[in-house]
Amino acid sequence: MDNNDLGNLKLLECNSQVAELQTILRDKNTTRSDFKFYADRLIRLVIEESLNQLPYTHCDVETPTGAIYEGLKYRSGNCGVSIIRSGEAMEQGLRDCCRSIRIGKILVESDANTHEARVVYARFPDDIGSRQVLLMYPIMSTGNTVLQAVNVLREHGVPESCIILSNLFCTPMAVRTVVNAFPKLKILTSELHPVAPNHFGQKYFGTD
Amino acid sequence: MSQTKQIKFYNPSSSASSDSDDRSDVTEPLYVDPYAELGNGLPGDLNCCPASPTTVPAKPSLESPLKRSGRRQRTTSIGNQTTTANPSECIIRANNRTIYTAGRPPWYNCAGQQVEPFVIGICGGSASGKTTVAEKIIESLDVPWVTLLSMDCFYKILNEKQHEQALINEYNFDHPDAFDIELLLDVLTKLKEGRKVEVPVYNFVTHGRESQTKTMYGANVIIFEGILTFHSPEVLKLLDMKIFVDTDPDIRLARRLKRDISQRGRDLRGVLKQYLNMVKPSYCNYIAPTMAHADIIVPRGGENKVAIHLIVQHVHTQLQLRGFKLRETLANSYKDQPMPHSLHLLHPTPQIKGLHTFIRCRNTSRDEFIFYSKRLIRLVIEFALSLFPFKTTTVETPQGVLYEGKRMESRKICGVSILRAGETMEQAVCDVCKDIRIGKILIQTNLKTGEPELYYLRLPKDIKDYKVILMDATVATGAAAMMAIRVLLDHDVPEDNIILASLLMAEIGVHSIAYAFPKVKIVTSALDPEINSKFYVIPGIGNFGDRYFGTEPSDEY
Repeated sequence: MDNNDLGNLKLLECNSQVAELQTILRDKNTTRSDFKFYADRLIRLVIEESLNQLPYTHCDVETPTGAIYEGLKYRSGNCGVSIIRSGEAMEQGLRDCCRSIRIGKILVESDANTHEARVVYARFPDDIGSRQVLLMYPIMSTGNTVLQAVNVLREHGVPESCIILSNLFCTPMAVRTVVNAFPKLKILTSELHPVAPNHFGQKYFGTD
Repeated sequence: MSQTKQIKFYNPSSSASSDSDDRSDVTEPLYVDPYAELGNGLPGDLNCCPASPTTVPAKPSLESPLKRSGRRQRTTSIGNQTTTANPSECIIRANNRTIYTAGRPPWYNCAGQQVEPFVIGICGGSASGKTTVAEKIIESLDVPWVTLLSMDCFYKILNEKQHEQALINEYNFDHPDAFDIELLLDVLTKLKEGRKVEVPVYNFVTHGRESQTKTMYGANVIIFEGILTFHSPEVLKLLDMKIFVDTDPDIRLARRLKRDISQRGRDLRGVLKQYLNMVKPSYCNYIAPTMAHADIIVPRGGENKVAIHLIVQHVHTQLQLRGFKLRETLANSYKDQPMPHSLHLLHPTPQIKGLHTFIRCRNTSRDEFIFYSKRLIRLVIEFALSLFPFKTTTVETPQGVLYEGKRMESRKICGVSILRAGETMEQAVCDVCKDIRIGKILIQTNLKTGEPELYYLRLPKDIKDYKVILMDATVATGAAAMMAIRVLLDHDVPEDNIILASLLMAEIGVHSIAYAFPKVKIVTSALDPEINSKFYVIPGIGNFGDRYFGTEPSDEY
């Protein structure tokens, strides 16, 4: 796949440490306790990197030594939105970085017969249209769920360019689907791989 | 010296000096409760460093003086007296801080290399005043870290028959065969290399070794004293200066009689029998001939001020040649050099800069300061972990396909924090490594000298098998970090198994550490250009520990 197709896709910098986390999550022999532990670590890294995509302004501060540090400041007014159920696994990671951030939820179900995804529940802060939205969904294999979720956000007045999708694993096909539909959407993931670890939600929440 | 009231008994000419025997009244409590001191320093975990700067072998344990067998017993505790004789001098209280001075100062030069300690051997007959001479040297040297090693610790373990002989004064404790020279050589060699050693604690009641040992470290000066210190040619080679204390035999016998009879409740006949049959012949056969090896012979022992003065002068010259001043040298070198390859700086992303903006701002509340520094620490630790060696591996996935990934080569990772600011990073290490072991090192700056000093050390026993993440929140000159790295190397941790992780470093500190320890990986989230005259990083964070723990001096507000 050539880079032009990838739109605003950004990969988490893959060092050995990240590769190990991915390996543990992929391994079918990983215990559930380990799985949750290492998933939380990877989530934290992805969330931190997603926050890195938020807009900021320059800001100088005085340090206790009296010197000036040329820093920067993120704009306030962000919010998280998780796609039920696996997206909720990422909420704690977001809370650990932004203690009092508002978090909305979307429930998307796929029809058993047609495999078509449809939104059955959505609850957001009232002013979501004026916020930067961090959309959380860890595993993307077809991208259909995310398409529906972004559609709902747009219906609530959130511009495409204000949405950052936080994702752990996704397939190239899913990226293409999402990018074709929403070229301005920012996507952050840790790995592009043709096979998605679809056991994530079940193993994380222990319902396998 | 107020404790010299009895000295005239055998030494009428002297009134100002002290003698080891006269210290017995001071150390009497140690006899009443011989385990008190042992118990204090060693609560279960033997792998600790005593906080006192002068390490001394523990006193042999024993029961009541009456039941003790006919063996000379070390009654003094040099270490206690030289270090805690005047406790008020060791504590500085300022701005709500209590600082205990006289920790262990640097024992390596600014290239991080071990500086060989100066080893003084003191030999002399029984009751000749060797300990007094050692004590006088320590007093006059005024070097903060001196280790005193006594040959008494290396008595061999006696079998049952020998034990019985000892009880009736027929075992010869003054013969060279009574000592475990091999063990002694091993311990002294390691001490001279600046390594940690376990010194046996000899029990004069059971004539065996205690299960507990005394941990000692190499020092700037090591004093090794005993009756047969010059006997082994190998040991002789390790001594940089050899002193023989030559006291008149009559005086020595008088001291022995007084000590054994009035202080140890033994009878005249037994003491004389032991003296004539064993102590005296051994002195003539084994001890007196070794006088030939001595560089200096000190007549009359401890009150010989001229001799002590000469010795101390010589040692001072030698120490200066070896060079122990560190911090200033560190702060002034390496200007305008390119940054070393061992430095691994986190990518300066907007987010990391944003976090730094929070924690550097002087008006940030402590609650926010803690929260944002924790976020930053987590990123630093995650990044540090990625620098350990990994191997490629293939795993089976629930989706039925094989997946090629990576696993860390060794799961044996250990965190070591430099107190106090480094402790703030422990939680993050525990959050990313399950069941990780955490070691701690306390290093404080001596306000008088500006030099770092080592106070406290607790590390996993088998730390040499671990990859170590050494943590300190900020690194300015790098002096504390260098001391901590040196400690790890002294515990046999390979240099390339160490990662030094920090939130903020000054360029100078990075240069110093990289120059001294090129294989140590240095990880930080930001690099600042300067340090000020108080060794704070500029622009910096301020005092990280104070801000995190809320112990800022009140005049800052």
